[in-house]
Amino acid sequence: MKRTLFASVAIVATAWASAPVSAEEMKAEVIHWWTSGGEAAAVKVFADQFNKAGGTWIDSAVAGAANARNAAISRTVAGNPPTAMQLNTGKQFDELVEGDLLADVDAIATEGNWKGVMPAAIIAAATRKGKMYAVPINIHGQNWLWYNKAVLASVGADEPKTWNDAITILDKLKAEGKVIPLAFSGQKNWEQNLFNAVMIGAGGAQMWTGILGKRDTSLAQSAEFKAVAVTYKKLKDYVDAGAPGRNWNDATNMVIQGKAGMQIMGDWAKGEFIAAGKVPEKDYGCTVLSNGSGGYVMGGDVFVFPKAKDPSTTKAQMTLARLMLTPETQIQFALKKGSIPVRSDVDASALDACAQKGMRYVADKAQQMPSGDMLAPPALIGALQDAISQYWNTSMSADEFSAKVAAVLKSQE
Amino acid sequence: MRLSLTSRLSAISALLPALLVMFVVYIGATSWTVWISLTNSRMLPNNNFIGLRQYEMLFNNDRWITSVHNIVIYGVLFVSLALLIGFLLAVAIDQRVRAEDTIRSIYLYPYSMSFVVTGLVWQWLLNPTLGIQHVLRSWGFEGATFDWIVRPETAIYCLVIAGVWQASGLVMAIMLAGLRGVDEEIWKAARVDGLPKWRVYVSIIIPMMDASFATAAVLLSTGVVRLYDLSVAMTNGGPGIASEVPAKFVMDHLFERANIGLATAAATTMLITVIAVVAPYLYWRARKGEMR
Amino acid sequence: MTAVAQLLPASRRPKRMTPARWGLYAFIFITALYFLLPLYVMIVTSLKPMAEIRQGNLLALPAAPSIDAWVKAWTSACTGLTCQGIKIGFFNSLRILVPSVGISILIGSLTGYALSLWRLPGANILFGAMMVVAFIPYQVFIYPLVRVFSFTGLGQSLLTIVIIHTIFGLPTMTLLFRNYFASLPVELFKAARVDGAGFYQIYALIMMPMATPMIVVAVILQTTGIWNDFILGLIFAGRDNLPMTVQLNNIVNSTQGERAYNVDMAATLLTALLPLVVYFGSGRWFVRGIAAGAVKG
Repeated sequence: MKRTLFASVAIVATAWASAPVSAEEMKAEVIHWWTSGGEAAAVKVFADQFNKAGGTWIDSAVAGAANARNAAISRTVAGNPPTAMQLNTGKQFDELVEGDLLADVDAIATEGNWKGVMPAAIIAAATRKGKMYAVPINIHGQNWLWYNKAVLASVGADEPKTWNDAITILDKLKAEGKVIPLAFSGQKNWEQNLFNAVMIGAGGAQMWTGILGKRDTSLAQSAEFKAVAVTYKKLKDYVDAGAPGRNWNDATNMVIQGKAGMQIMGDWAKGEFIAAGKVPEKDYGCTVLSNGSGGYVMGGDVFVFPKAKDPSTTKAQMTLARLMLTPETQIQFALKKGSIPVRSDVDASALDACAQKGMRYVADKAQQMPSGDMLAPPALIGALQDAISQYWNTSMSADEFSAKVAAVLKSQE
Repeated sequence: MRLSLTSRLSAISALLPALLVMFVVYIGATSWTVWISLTNSRMLPNNNFIGLRQYEMLFNNDRWITSVHNIVIYGVLFVSLALLIGFLLAVAIDQRVRAEDTIRSIYLYPYSMSFVVTGLVWQWLLNPTLGIQHVLRSWGFEGATFDWIVRPETAIYCLVIAGVWQASGLVMAIMLAGLRGVDEEIWKAARVDGLPKWRVYVSIIIPMMDASFATAAVLLSTGVVRLYDLSVAMTNGGPGIASEVPAKFVMDHLFERANIGLATAAATTMLITVIAVVAPYLYWRARKGEMR
Repeated sequence: MTAVAQLLPASRRPKRMTPARWGLYAFIFITALYFLLPLYVMIVTSLKPMAEIRQGNLLALPAAPSIDAWVKAWTSACTGLTCQGIKIGFFNSLRILVPSVGISILIGSLTGYALSLWRLPGANILFGAMMVVAFIPYQVFIYPLVRVFSFTGLGQSLLTIVIIHTIFGLPTMTLLFRNYFASLPVELFKAARVDGAGFYQIYALIMMPMATPMIVVAVILQTTGIWNDFILGLIFAGRDNLPMTVQLNNIVNSTQGERAYNVDMAATLLTALLPLVVYFGSGRWFVRGIAAGAVKG
């Protein structure tokens, strides 16, 4: 028994060590977390392009960003990395660069003039020590407001522009009492997303970068920040009792069905509207609330490439990097994914009304805002999330909350 | 009894896998975990020693404190309810009921399903606007209220409801194995003495089944400390941080939040707590064993 | 033997209905409802189209039942680029399950046997250490284990995942068998020793045949744990051996994609099918095993 076990250990071990890699073939094992219908269709755009270029795309899809990252990073640390892995645009790969585990894509970036066609914040988020280490592939607006046109029309309301407008409408809907004013999914990350939407929309660009980027503790204790906190907490009056724990898509469906008036959610919510057969700017509207200074929070995804010993893998990595950003791939991907292209020089006419609106926001330098992930490391985002979630769900006062946020900013220095 | 050299050698050979696992995995991995908890590691492990700073942050962290508090509530309720219900189910099945196989399978099936989706179903059922409360109200019970899952004070009890649902079937199986092992003579003797049935269970059968209870309790308790999936799938720790648990704290910080220094500090704290509880118990068991 | 015969349900005649019996059946009925409610919701949801699910009538029967979601979950749901449903992972899971359950029970029962009946120096310490480990969330072992396995050159493979499941099953399996063997009459063991039987002979010929009820419980525990494992399979099994739960997760847990709850429910029920079959199938063995255990009295 034991001898056979050891024998098989040895066999498997040698098989592992001498896995044949032909220098001719271009293989790319890609770990990503796009698994379901529309998401998978989007990633297929990349795979098709790569296969067309003579490569072989090996798909390793793992649902759940944390799961996929977990698998990819474990393998990279263990010295058996995938060819490419998906991350969110932001600070998630800081330590991989510091540990010299990633290949840079600077040559491809220069060749493709990425810096000329992408928003500066996205370029900055992909650059470390003066070199680009990640390929940004899309932009997801995180703070969209989605509303049911018929429901808003029923109280005689137009598209809101600011949080004050929105609250006026919410009050009307509440007074009317026929629908739930604000559809909400009470999970930590969406509680944070809603807070962020209020912070950028009511607090403006200075507060956004001041809190998340500069970690300014005195700003966190300022009257302005407390006002943002009060506005945020006020939104709880417009939410139904079933909100805690609800999934975001169920909240979106409340808007689709006219059971609720509006929802704050990233542009992936569009997929639900499309699946239900709804038409943008006819059945539902989309907008971004802003106080005039900054407004559109740009999240998104990047691919990074762990350093490879084998030149054919490096070749595959650089081919992928190049292909992902051709204008044709970009527009195809965005159409499937519901995001907008990361390049501003593509023909946006094929995109739907909401995506075109998004393109206009991104084209305006004053509107482009880097997402929380780009400004702060995951540990800080997480700690803030806990604080926001506690504030939303308990009787904590705005003063206590601002003191707590200040403490979090201080502890994560 | 004295053992010959050959028997002794074969007994030790049987323990080789366990010893290997203990030294390489348990001791190796545990010391690594303890060491990392003393560093300022974020996403990747590093060796920048910072003493007990991570522990200081840990015990100043509301979420960790709430998690610890929750796991105590959950642990006590879950273990005692699962033992009680599991035992009652086993006793019920042991009364020569009809369709025993079917009933046993009904009790046991929840154990076969992962919480990835059954958690979602429980979330629906307990949600006031969707589940039981909604159904009761639509039946005309206007005042019916069952909204524990959306209230921070009570959300943890919802985890107990689902946890007991999943685990009591297993307790039932273990208890049934124990009950069926009880000598028929005892029942005859009790009948002759005219003891009522419940008295026999309480004063004779339960004390005889201490091994079954111990096995079930230990299995349930390991599940308590490792509680993770249920909290993720049902409430995702919410509302707010109201139903957070320690294993989820460790997992979230290990991966999603890329803060492995803090995660390993939490894991080490859990480890020390477990040793502090389990070691005296084992010592007591060993002493009891020697006296016998 | 007569005692054994009496214990078998086949020979049991249900008693006549007294008030106490009514109470008993009422108890069984109500508890059965509690256990079946979630299953009911899952089944009816899986048979509804999404438009009906969006209405939110959880307990309502489907207006027009359809097995489309089941077909989709098994054959065509997308789990990334491959849209072949969850069936592709089924055989991977099976290939992981069978050796993992077998080896972990073998090693666990051997360890439990050696620790319970053979007085070995340090046995209590080893057992104590294993008990402590049984309580630790295994997630904290992932990083170091990835290192260990890449160091030994095993990396990710079928063998790795089998070893991993054996390692994590060891404490519980040892506990189960140690406690069981310790509860057997020690005279049996002594008699076998006097007859000159060796360590492995006693294990194979006397102890294991008597341990059937515990083997059934062990199989239930391990089958459930290993079949439902997600994170270990994902990290240690390697691309070619990814278990079914990875596909289930890919269908159910997509972050930004649209959700089809009917397919989710169908996929979950399909994934749970094998453990369910094991449970239902082990019922018979359960009774037989218990009968074997009862001989000792």
